Parts: sequence; structure tokens; C-alpha cells
Amino acid sequence: MSVTEKSLQEKQAWEPLIVAFCCNWCSYAGGDLAGTSRMPYPANIRVIRVPCSSRVNPMMVLRAFQRGADGVLVAGCHPGDCHYTSGNYYTRRRMSVFRRLLEYTGIEPERFQVTWISGSEGAKFAQVMNRVTEEVRALGPNRKLRDAR
Amino acid sequence: MKKLKKEKLTELWSLLAERTSLYLPVDEGGSVNFLPWEKGMEVDLDALNSTIPPKSIFFQQTEVYLQYTTEEDGLKFEEITPQGPAVLFGVRPCDLKGIQLLDNVFLQEPEDSLYKQRRLETTIVALTCTKPDSSCFCTLFDIDPGAAPGADLLATDLGEEFVFTAQSEKGESLLEAIATLLEDAEADSKAVEEVRRQAKAAVPTHGLDVEGLKEKLDSMFDDPIWGTFYRRCLGCGTCTYLCPTCHCFDIQDHTRGEEGLRFRCWDSCMFGEFTLMASGHNPRPTQKERVRNRFLHKLNYYPKNFESYACVGCGRCVRKCPVNLDMIEVIKALGGVTSGSC
Amino acid sequence: MKPTVDKLKEIAAETLVGKKAELILGWQKGSFWWQSFPAFIEKQEELDSLTWDPFCVANLSIYLLEELKRKKKVALFVKGCDALAINRLLQDKCIEREQVLLYGLPCKGMADRAKIEAAVGEELSIREVRRDGDEFIVLTDNGEQHLDASNYLLDKCLSCRYPNPIVYDQLLAQEIDTFPVKERFQSVVKLENSTFEERYLYWSGHFNRCLRCFACRNVCPACNCRECIFDQNEPRWLGKANILSENQFCHLIRAYHVAGRCIDCGECQRVCPMDIPLQELNRKLIKDLNELYGDYDAGTDPEEPQPLGTFKLDDPASFSES
Repeated sequence: MSVTEKSLQEKQAWEPLIVAFCCNWCSYAGGDLAGTSRMPYPANIRVIRVPCSSRVNPMMVLRAFQRGADGVLVAGCHPGDCHYTSGNYYTRRRMSVFRRLLEYTGIEPERFQVTWISGSEGAKFAQVMNRVTEEVRALGPNRKLRDAR
Repeated sequence: MKKLKKEKLTELWSLLAERTSLYLPVDEGGSVNFLPWEKGMEVDLDALNSTIPPKSIFFQQTEVYLQYTTEEDGLKFEEITPQGPAVLFGVRPCDLKGIQLLDNVFLQEPEDSLYKQRRLETTIVALTCTKPDSSCFCTLFDIDPGAAPGADLLATDLGEEFVFTAQSEKGESLLEAIATLLEDAEADSKAVEEVRRQAKAAVPTHGLDVEGLKEKLDSMFDDPIWGTFYRRCLGCGTCTYLCPTCHCFDIQDHTRGEEGLRFRCWDSCMFGEFTLMASGHNPRPTQKERVRNRFLHKLNYYPKNFESYACVGCGRCVRKCPVNLDMIEVIKALGGVTSGSC
Repeated sequence: MKPTVDKLKEIAAETLVGKKAELILGWQKGSFWWQSFPAFIEKQEELDSLTWDPFCVANLSIYLLEELKRKKKVALFVKGCDALAINRLLQDKCIEREQVLLYGLPCKGMADRAKIEAAVGEELSIREVRRDGDEFIVLTDNGEQHLDASNYLLDKCLSCRYPNPIVYDQLLAQEIDTFPVKERFQSVVKLENSTFEERYLYWSGHFNRCLRCFACRNVCPACNCRECIFDQNEPRWLGKANILSENQFCHLIRAYHVAGRCIDCGECQRVCPMDIPLQELNRKLIKDLNELYGDYDAGTDPEEPQPLGTFKLDDPASFSES
């Protein structure tokens, strides 16, 4: 097998790995609903349940990239719906700024995404996961930020 | 003695890089450091001192020395061997002395095998200084900026050319390997002597004198002086990481699932975590004890073990300490000055 | 009228004699013309060491956290940028206003040693550099040289927006007129307009050089955590290996942790032994916060909530909210 064929095969074999931090009260419930409603979404998503999207610290996002994530998603309740009243408003500011900082240091914005998914939006959950997976797939494997050891 | 015209330097680099790894002082955009040379890199042999001392070639900032995997019958280890022969070109006499001071530590029993192998396989070409900086003070520690005892090859800068003197078998075989580029230089010996003499005379003395300082410090552990100048210390690791004689390290494991690796990395006595114990106790609880340790180590503890001060007067701490808590200031504060001088 | 060394000494003497403070933070000369480092003055006989010259760049406010553990009241000299740092510490409730006595020093910018050396040539011959109006006067073994000060300032001073302290108890000289400065976001905008690949190469090149000495963190008036997350052992967020991935983590998080609190004093970049352009990271965050959540100038008002500590219901986002 030639080198090109081999790398082509590797690329085809590659599946994006996406870490999704989902807030317990909305987005995670949205995921549940997607499941119980039998709406398919890709197996590339690894969900990490957090009490609130504002629990997600930028260090967690970077750690996910370090350990091999090709994309990271933070999902929380829609503004106004936060179980803790205001958590997601902080998320909005923090992650907006952090996302731009990552872009500034050369990380494609598709690799780090933020979204709002409510507990009743099973369809949106599945649709977002599909979209993010495809966007990351189009970018290929992530080498930036990765701890290659 | 042989000489090489400076216009042939690029040829020399290519020739050397073909047969071995070649480390040269390279301009990394404002800061000059010893890096493995590749075609197209800008070599700066005029920079007085690299920002990071060449100790980093032998004692790397991060060095993996063991890999392990978990298998059914237990852990399986794989040792890592350092890369083969190398030439390190352009080491200043102070930095060479720094490496020799590290030898005392790493080559004593139990020997550090990785360090030893690198040392044995590397040919060091020292480069005499022609233009010391105001923050140089190597002569205070009896280092001659025009000589480099212990280097395999000594290069003296005569302006348009370098004159090489072999000082070991490794040095001689290096000269043989590059013989096609060299010319005879016996006639230049006078000029070489003169350049070396001038270099030595140009190093400022700063009115310092360390005669008897080691003995004086024996009784100064509890001296109130340690309660004064440490206060401005930021507790950063600049002085230790840039010091050619600092050699402290930490050992850590990096485990991922069934496999992992063990590495060592530079550590600094300026950091609080350096002496923090698992119990939570810290025997050097404040910056005062840390600063005291750093300077006593250089000027008292190390000399007690190895008969030499652990400072080579390279001036890196003088140039880079953000709050000027440097060796010159501290030696002065500790009373290491000639009588009647500042 | 410019503040003079005598004025500083006089006010420091008054402070000690009148027992207005237990400790005075100022600057003193080191062995070299370019060294003016922090001085800790508690006794009359130490007063004479005080100096005020174009190298008093160190921000003394960073010592307050440690010194106020032992002292009830500390007096210190503050330049424009240092005063912003005081407000920051007040805003984070790290210090109380009553604990500090502030002597304001209007400042036209501090001198860059390397620039002066390059201009003079023989750096071994320089003995003293002082400011006279808009000139630096360089005394060398071979005579005097006059340099136009504006060409020999530290880079960080070229975009100074607060030459006059905005918080003080007593101003030691007349306020100076603000002077035209370099637009501070220039290099950020330039980088923003390059490709992802270029940006990544630019920053990874810089981060690769990082020694992890933490000078940038330790000198920062916004880095005032009791225990830095980078020093934590368990869990260890920042690994100790000096590899690109860990260095990226270190710098992105350092910059992010001071977002909205960075006073843009540029000390981090000045003290970096490896010349990493850290201010360009901080400024990116300042610029984005301004664009997204309204103009905010950290250190100007200790009462105003900092942008990442507050929100509005109709805040914009840098991601799609639909």
C-alpha cells in the first residue's frame, strides 16, 4: 500500500471525537428526550453532564482538546431559563470571549461551539450534535492544543 | 592551530550537520538560544550569551526517560536512550564552566546515565569572548573569557576568522573532519594571545571580592540580612532557569490509561511548591527562606561539596531579574566587596 | 514642575516621622545605571537610598498583599499605571483604601535600557541616565549625550493612556498633559486579519519558547489568587512538562484569568525573559470585551463591576444563539 493510500485510509477511518458539556437541567434533558424519542445523533459525541453551563471552566475545554477531542461543545439552558436564574448569562459572556481568544490563537471556531438547548428540544439536540459533528469532520483531526505524548 | 574564514561558516555548518546533530546559537526572533541547526536558520555567534544557557543540551528542561505499559503480567518498562553524537558550537567560557559544575553533580555516584551519555557523545566547541557586557563578572570566579579548559575545541574570534585550538581527542578528530575548510594558523598565535588578553582585561570587576565569602556565610544562616532584600523577590523562576549552574529537577509521571511515561523537568527553589511536602508542611514557607537557599547554595553549600562557587559570572540574572535581585547585588549585600570600593 | 528625588525623600521623611505609615515602598538604585528596584523603607537612615529616575518601572502595589499581612498601613509611590493597579486591588477587596497612603507621581514614561544602549553604542561606558524635560541625558565616560526621550521609552509606555495617577492621597507634582500615544490594539488587529494557520504558528512559536518561570503571573497586579491554579498539586491542572500543549494551556488560561481585570500595564511582557508578546493576548481580551459588552477600563473605577462578573439580559454572543 502506498503512503498516500495509507493516509487516505487513515483519514477515512478517522471519526471526530466531540466532547459535549451539557447542563443537567436543560441540555442533558434535551439529550434524554432525543433518546426516548428515538432521534438519531452520531456516536461521536461524548456527553459530560454538568450542573450548569456556567460550571464549565475554560480549563475543562482546553483539557478536552489536550486529551484528544477534535471539537468541544458547551450546551446550556436558553437565556431566561437557567435553573439557577443567571448561570447561563455568565456562560454567554465567558464563552463568547473565550471562543474569540481561541480563534485569535489559531483554533477554528467550529471546534469550540456553544449553544442553548432546552429540555423539550430533543430534536434540536440531535440536530446540533449532527451539525457539530459534520463541521468538525470537515476540518479533520485536531492537532492544535493536543498533548501528543 | 587551524583557522577558518568566517565566510565559510555556512559551509562548516552544512558539513557538520551532515555527520552529527549540530547545536548553534540561533536567533529565535530577539532571543538567541542553542537549537539544532537546520538550513536557513540565522546563527548569531556575536550574541554575548544565549538567553537560555547551553546546560539545556545536557540537562534538558523536560526529558522523558522511561515509558511503561500495563500488560497482563504486570508493568512493562522501556528505557529511552538519548540521541547520538552531537557538536555544540559557540559555548562561552562561563557557560562551559557552568556545564563542568553540573558534571560535579550529575557524574558523581550514582551517575546520571542520560546526562553522562550526552556529555560523552557531544563535542563542545568553546568560543572566546571579545566584548564582555557590563553585567559580566566571570573573572571574579577565576574564569578566563579568553580560555576554556576542558572544551574539546577552543575557537578564538580574530574578527575575520576563527582560530581553532584542539584541546582533546574529540576536538582533534573534529578538526580532521573539517580539514578541507581550514587553513594553517601557526602564524596567528600572537594575535590570538592578544585577543584573549584583551578579553580578560575588559571584564568589569564591580568592586566585588568573594575571597573568604564562603567561610563568612557559614555563620550567616540566621543573619538579619536575609530578612531584607528578599522582600522585593517576585518568586518567579527566571534566575534559576536562566542560571548555567542551577540543576534542580522534579520527576513526574504522565499516565494515560494503560500506558504512560516518566519524565523529569527543571524545577526552581524560588517556587513555594518546590519544598512543599505531602503532609502540607513547607520547610521553606516564605520567599525569605527560598532566596536564602538559592544564594547559600551558590556561595556556601555547593562550594563545601565541590570546592568551587556555583556561579560563573555570566550575568544572566543581572540582565533578566525583573527586580534586580541578582548575584552582584547579593554578593555586595553579603559583604563580598573589596575594601574601599562600592 | 516634575517630581524630584528630594521631594520624594522629604515626603517619605514626613511619613515616617509623623508615623503616617509603618512602611514606605519606593525605589532605590542598584549597581547599574539601568537598575532602580523596589525599596522597602522603615527607618530614617534608609531614606537616603530613595530614587526617582527613568528606570522606576516596577509597580510597587504588587507587594501590598504580602506586606499588609504584617503592617497596618503602607505608604507607596504610584505612577499612572500603578494607580490603576491600586484600584484593581480595591475592586477585588484585596486591600482597604485606609490601609494605603498613596503618593502620586505623574510619569512621562520609563526608559528602555536596550534602546539607549543601542543608541549610545559603548554600553560599558554609560554611567547615568536622567530625564530633563523631553530629553534623556546620558552621562558616559566620554561626555554627555542628549536623546529625544520619546524614542527611548519602554514599548509599553508608548501606548500609555494614564500618565497621571487617578487615585492618590497627595500628588507630588503637577499633572502632566496627556500626550499622543500609539493605538494599543494595532498589533491585535493585524493578527486578527491573518489566517488561522498563521495565527497558530505565531502563537505556538512564542509559547514554545516559554520557560514557565511565571514571572508574568507573579508581577501581575491582577494575579492575586491566594493559591494559583497553576500551583495546585491535586488536581494538577497544569502539568509540569515544558511541552507546547501545556504551554498553550498555561498562557491561554493566564490571559483568560485576568480578562476584564487586566489594567494593560504591560508588566507581564516587560518581565518575560523570553520576550513573549503577552500584552497582545491581554489586549485581545480587552478589545473583545469592549466590543461585546461595552467599553470598560479596568482599574479606573473600583466600584464598577468587572465585565465577566456581571451580565445584561440582552448581551450579544460570539456564537449563534438560535
